[in-house]
Amino acid sequence: MSQTTVDATSGDWEGRYDHIDQVLNTAGPRTDPGFLAGDGVKDFLRNQAKILVIGAGGLGCEILANLALTGFKDIHVIDMDTIDISNLNRQFLFRPKDVGKPKATCAAEFIMNRVPGVKVTPYFGKIQDKDEEYYMQFNLVICGLDSVEARRWMSATLVNMVDPENPESLKPLIDGGTEGFKGQARVILPSITSCYECSLDMLNKPTAFPICTIANTPRLPEHCIEWASVLEWPKVQGDKKLDTDDPEHIGWLYQVASARAKEFKIEGVTWSLTQGVVKNIIPAIASTNAIIAGMSACCNEAFKIATSSAAYLNNYFMLIGTEGVYSYTFEHEKRDDCPVCGGESLDLTISKDLTVEQIIELLVERQDIQIKKPSLATPTSQIYLQAPPQLEQATRPNLSKKVSELVAEDGEVTVTSTSLPFSLSLRIHYN
Amino acid sequence: MTDVQDIEAVTTQVKIDGQPDQKTRKYDRQLRLWAASGQSALENARILAISATATSTSILKNLVLPGIGHFTILDPQQVTPQDAGNNFFLEGQNSIGKSRAKEATRLLAELNEDVNSAADERSLEEILESETGREWIKEFTLIIAHNLEKGLLDRLAKLLWEDAKSPTLVVVRSAGFLAEFYIQFHEHTIIDSHSDSTPSLRIDKPFPALLDYALSLDFDKMDPTDHGHVPYVYILVRALEEWKKTHDGKPPQAYSDKKAFKASILSKKFKQDEENFDEAEAQAYRTWSVTGVPSEIQALFKDPLSPSSAANAATPLTPDSPPFFHLLDALRRFTEKEPFVLPLTSTLPDMKANTESYIHLQKLYKKRSEEERDVIRELVKETGGEVDDATLDLFVRNAHAVKVMRGKRWGVLDESEEALGNAVDPSGKPLSIHLALSALSEITAKQISPLTVEAVTKEAQTILPKGKELPEDWDNIVGEMHVFSPTADLPNTAAFLGGMVAQEVIKMITRQYIPIDGYCTADLIETWTGILLA
Repeated sequence: MSQTTVDATSGDWEGRYDHIDQVLNTAGPRTDPGFLAGDGVKDFLRNQAKILVIGAGGLGCEILANLALTGFKDIHVIDMDTIDISNLNRQFLFRPKDVGKPKATCAAEFIMNRVPGVKVTPYFGKIQDKDEEYYMQFNLVICGLDSVEARRWMSATLVNMVDPENPESLKPLIDGGTEGFKGQARVILPSITSCYECSLDMLNKPTAFPICTIANTPRLPEHCIEWASVLEWPKVQGDKKLDTDDPEHIGWLYQVASARAKEFKIEGVTWSLTQGVVKNIIPAIASTNAIIAGMSACCNEAFKIATSSAAYLNNYFMLIGTEGVYSYTFEHEKRDDCPVCGGESLDLTISKDLTVEQIIELLVERQDIQIKKPSLATPTSQIYLQAPPQLEQATRPNLSKKVSELVAEDGEVTVTSTSLPFSLSLRIHYN
Repeated sequence: MTDVQDIEAVTTQVKIDGQPDQKTRKYDRQLRLWAASGQSALENARILAISATATSTSILKNLVLPGIGHFTILDPQQVTPQDAGNNFFLEGQNSIGKSRAKEATRLLAELNEDVNSAADERSLEEILESETGREWIKEFTLIIAHNLEKGLLDRLAKLLWEDAKSPTLVVVRSAGFLAEFYIQFHEHTIIDSHSDSTPSLRIDKPFPALLDYALSLDFDKMDPTDHGHVPYVYILVRALEEWKKTHDGKPPQAYSDKKAFKASILSKKFKQDEENFDEAEAQAYRTWSVTGVPSEIQALFKDPLSPSSAANAATPLTPDSPPFFHLLDALRRFTEKEPFVLPLTSTLPDMKANTESYIHLQKLYKKRSEEERDVIRELVKETGGEVDDATLDLFVRNAHAVKVMRGKRWGVLDESEEALGNAVDPSGKPLSIHLALSALSEITAKQISPLTVEAVTKEAQTILPKGKELPEDWDNIVGEMHVFSPTADLPNTAAFLGGMVAQEVIKMITRQYIPIDGYCTADLIETWTGILLA
């Protein structure tokens, strides 16, 4: 074989993209009518498109590799985590020597070494550190995250960015997630299709154990572990923050939980279960991430959107691989009362006797709202504010008051939380 | 949750301070799925991949990462500029001209130091020619063949089908956005299918210790706190016993009876907020739904291909039969005696109760469950079976969800008009994809060019039985494949197939979860997968 000539600027060699060019050179029977086969689309893909990948974990590693091979040359990646040994069973851009290093930086370096000519720009930090101007520079955002909060933030931010006068301000968002042999992916066109917030009630409710069970009538090993982490840690360790990544902290919880289990003759407290409960560990394997990254989330959809070479996913794909292979695609619909993209306020009917404290509890527990530490206000007055401390103190007496004393029938209440980049508008009715 | 606890018990190798060892930590996220038993099966498996295409290396990547024992790549070719552009396990232009087997093996092996690997530059053709070659191939656990030329694939499939002990063959075919894969195996038995269904608590047929204890409780004289913490199992067993006394020994059957029964449970409350009585009401169906042997399990007992000790068995059970069938046969004999049920589960769901009463109930179930397990053990001995305790425990725990799958040889579908005629495919799409890929490989083998839609359609028609029309979606599928490159191994399709096939391989090797039955087809243009049952 003769020496291959490599183009100095692009890093390309003759034949490099022959496989992909087969689908870019001509239109297929189901190709989007807007697709312009040939050099234009290749130029856009390889020289103009700028893609942002959020998360350089299990999905992120797969997404980055696929994007690079597909021909995207300008990729940015954000991740706030460092590499842990338990990542190595699936996050294939990392090696044992990388444990402790930032994921974003390591992943970027690996891709650039392996796929010549691709530029990957890492950011080791939080998505919330970046502003709209930053997000405006990308053609497409792909999320491979394990945090609901980060997804809500990203989705809401992109919806807020949409300016009807400027088509460039609409940034398609592709979101993927996996758990064991199951996964899902979706395409969000901010303000046009349903956003992440619209589908919040589809999430599984996290298992919560009642405090009285944990404190008085433990039955399961999980109850003993929760006792150790929720009640005993603050009591014994004082202000010291529990770090679930610190083996010494987990070791302490494990011992305390084991002692309690022994006292109550409960079997099954192990190190691994302790870690699983306090970190809320979700099982994860490379193959499921590869499916979701390869098929929907991610890269194939990115490729299809960026090149219009085929119709893209509309708009939600689910895969279950535990019993055979079952997949399902459906259109998740926009919610008119979605606090992010809906525009209408959410109707809430409550009892006249409900106190402010109780309505806060209700909001925290509602599956379609899931708001942490909400602050409440009417258009004319503050009901309860979580911060700053002075205002919290000033509004605290309202907690025990009835909502009906503060808000009239059909009145509006605005709910905000520092964890979310939007406010929720409620219309209160009494039954 | 119980599943997780069981996994913990076997996987966590505790050091002095309790922290698991390095290897357990590395594999933590997968051990929570398939436990130490699954991991050990993976580590003992030897995989052969025929060719190092982008799809092949993607599959291998997802097997090397979780720690497969060994992989060999068989590939006589040298890396082309095209390969170097679409395969993540080649180093760009630096790999061009080098052995594809060696380059890919080197870069895959680097993913996991626990995995053993080999690059083999011989061709499959050469190996199939010689007796030693054919024996060599049979030493693997599982063989993966991606886009293998038709003649060679058929020879390989037939060779491996001759002997039921030969490796499993996974056939993978793809072209552009279309793909298909199939698993060739004779028989696949699964004890731990990770079923979502939960076994019966047998409240309708309470075992003596449970019944006695439930009847010994005096609800009326109970301390109010204790009364609010009686587990619903006792409440129901007792309420059912009382009901039967006044209803000819029968549980509530008519709708009005069921309503009355539920009301009687709630009427026993001391206070409105006694959640244990609410739970009992919600679980009241357990008293009238009869615990028996699930129909899927009964079907296994009757399967003529399953070795059985029954007098009229088509396949007799011998001491050499696999342990699974000794267990299944013991289970059958167990269920043929009173009270005609599967062995009792030892795992209780959580329920409103105080610690003491819950743990007591748990112990009652555990003791009884162990006794019934011991009965099964004796029944296994009667047929000369040898089963270790861990397998016995696992089998008894999963007795409601064990599985036997039977496969067919690769190629049978296309060779038999009857099979194609009977293929279950309501949408027409899986069959279109399968036919398109079959026709493509026929045409490629015959070296017909140019490759036109007409040529592929004509070829597909010769595969179909006479009179059977091409499926509805045919034009889209064949057009896609023809225009979108019959030879494109797209990185995203490769990644997707890499994940799908690796998942199935893991299920086959660990004998956990349930693998596909039939041909799994995919259309990545429409983000779609579907099964062709054949």
